Amino acid sequence: MALNPAQPSVPDITCREVAEWASAYLDAHADDATQVRMALHLAACAGCEAYVSQIAAVRDLLGRLPGPAVEPTLRDRLRQAFSANRTPPPTKM
Amino acid sequence: MNSAIATHESPGPILSAAALPGGFTGPSLSQEERSLIVRLRKGDEGAFDELVNKHHGALIRMALGHVADREAAEEVVQDTWMAVIQGLPRFEGRSSLRTWICGILIHKAKDRGVREKRHATFSDFESHDDDHDEAVDPSRFHQNGEWAGHWAFPPQPWDEQTPEKLLASRQAVAAMQQAIDSLPPTLKEVLILRDIEGIEAKEACELLQITETNLYVRLHRARERVRRAVEIYLEGAALTV
Ligand SMILES: [Zn+2]
Repeated sequence: MALNPAQPSVPDITCREVAEWASAYLDAHADDATQVRMALHLAACAGCEAYVSQIAAVRDLLGRLPGPAVEPTLRDRLRQAFSANRTPPPTKM
Repeated sequence: MNSAIATHESPGPILSAAALPGGFTGPSLSQEERSLIVRLRKGDEGAFDELVNKHHGALIRMALGHVADREAAEEVVQDTWMAVIQGLPRFEGRSSLRTWICGILIHKAKDRGVREKRHATFSDFESHDDDHDEAVDPSRFHQNGEWAGHWAFPPQPWDEQTPEKLLASRQAVAAMQQAIDSLPPTLKEVLILRDIEGIEAKEACELLQITETNLYVRLHRARERVRRAVEIYLEGAALTV
């Protein structure tokens, strides 16, 4: 079936609503009816398809972004504290 | 005493480390975290470095939502790591390791923020009103007529290479980081916990004491701001090519 965006074939949910629900949809957190309506809408609407896949891409990118690095002096201090806090080796029981 | 296995405090580090994988029944711990904890309890400094490298940046970012400046954030994060070092022998795995660490940070950062300013933290201000605004700029949709609610200015699709290209571009990375850093604390927290630290929605809700619906509203607003920053970057990049 050719999906013509000019044909209001998905009256149940608007693009504006799809855009609001995108993150919940991606995690399957929306209720079942909404998940289905979203899926139907996305199959028929290029704009929403692009939007939801961009939100998914952003979600995946965020975990790969470099963050603030550890200051060397802090790293040394933490290592020392970690070593100092080690419980002494167990004595044979 | 036979009950030594059941209590995590009494046995020496070797025994408790060995007992750990089986002793933790909580589904929250991934295999990766389990083996990391075993190594940490053996005093493996490499494991500790790994732990710090993995979470330090996110902790700094999250602390910055509550305290005045970078210096204060560094102190809060340092305190957090010290508490982690001291608490590790007693960590029972009821939540994931990352959730536990972020929980300590949030507690310390809020505490410090309140003491610092002698008034409520930012996050107390923008609680509810914020959650009612739409994530996406309404002017991108048709306002009325037959097309009301449909895209007037739909996003331009990204291709498969776009994420890799973004990560490879210093300006794009800076634009995303800037977008994260300028998020209001309530949105920033959720984004960091869920998307940067990878904490499960349920655990993030417990940490922040918000409902899942609330979590998704905030998470989506935060993601949309980062998405928009990328969109603006890409528009600019297209112009300068
Ligand atoms: Zn649509």
